[in-house]
Amino acid sequence: MRAFALFAAFCLSLTPTQAANLVEVKEPARIADAFSPRSSLRLMNVWATWCVPCVEEMNDLRAIDATFGPEVSIVGVSLDDMIPGDRAATRRKVVAFLDQKKINYSNVYYSGNNDALADALRFSGEIPITIVYDRDGHELWRQQGKLDRRKTIAEIRKLLRRTR
Amino acid sequence: MKKLFVISLLLLATAAVADELAVGAKAPAFSLVNAVDGKTYAFKPADGKISVVFFTCNQCPYAKAFEPRLIEIAKQYQAKGVAFYAIDPNDENRFAEETLANMKDRAVSKGYPYPYLKDADSSIARAYGARVTPHVYVIDQGGVLRYRGYVDDSARPEERTKTGLTDALDALLTNRQVATTATHAFGCTIKWKG
Repeated sequence: MRAFALFAAFCLSLTPTQAANLVEVKEPARIADAFSPRSSLRLMNVWATWCVPCVEEMNDLRAIDATFGPEVSIVGVSLDDMIPGDRAATRRKVVAFLDQKKINYSNVYYSGNNDALADALRFSGEIPITIVYDRDGHELWRQQGKLDRRKTIAEIRKLLRRTR
Repeated sequence: MKKLFVISLLLLATAAVADELAVGAKAPAFSLVNAVDGKTYAFKPADGKISVVFFTCNQCPYAKAFEPRLIEIAKQYQAKGVAFYAIDPNDENRFAEETLANMKDRAVSKGYPYPYLKDADSSIARAYGARVTPHVYVIDQGGVLRYRGYVDDSARPEERTKTGLTDALDALLTNRQVATTATHAFGCTIKWKG
């Protein structure tokens, strides 16, 4: 079992991350395009490199991704563009950050209006926020603030049983 | 079933903002130490002045991005009699950037035209229902909250389309109703003490 875990970790380290494909999105509605259409559930996590709890929970999101594989499609929505500065340089910084963190789930670089995003996701603006949708886009669950790995995995298991 | 689902979502949305100080409510008073001169500054609502109370900090890039804008707004509106209070509610034991000494350094180096107050137990931020830095509150001459939320809808001046803070101040200064009373405050989560 331990040997398998080490082998899996080795394989994971060889897998190129999704970071290089960081797509810029200006319209909140286009974020959904980043989800895998084959997944049963869609998990959206809104974050930024400068957000301490967001960065702290990235390992938990990696673990959730590893636990459920293609059944749960995860998309991170980076809000790093909110900080004024050179947009291309900020985007490169996010790519480098995702690479360094070995994040393999999809991410998008949101550069649209803050109000539009808050209205679309019905959230206050405080990040991180994690929202789980079914494959038709209906919201099933949300966590405002840093997520708890065990509770989130248990919640997703419950939701998967409901959606199957 | 679908109707029940929609109602549940609406209830969830209401619950998410239920702890924020309601527009129309009396603003909480406070008495806090100014990091710059070590003196205690008291805010007594209904003091006959329009007041801007905003939660900010030393470490948050988004709060720092709005710093020049807030300084500019404060200078412009202080000339019209508006009082400004900057409050740092972050836990300095976990985040050294937030000590009184570091607050003083920042306030002096940036030339803050307002006191930079330490909310040492985060209780004032809790009383206002602040969640992030920056989070802005506008209080009228009678001590009633008239606006809460962001400074502007973007920290990028060229992409700014809504100016929540100055719109509220302009309305109050000309005895008009504040049109938009609450907006989405984006920013860094407050690093709560306790």
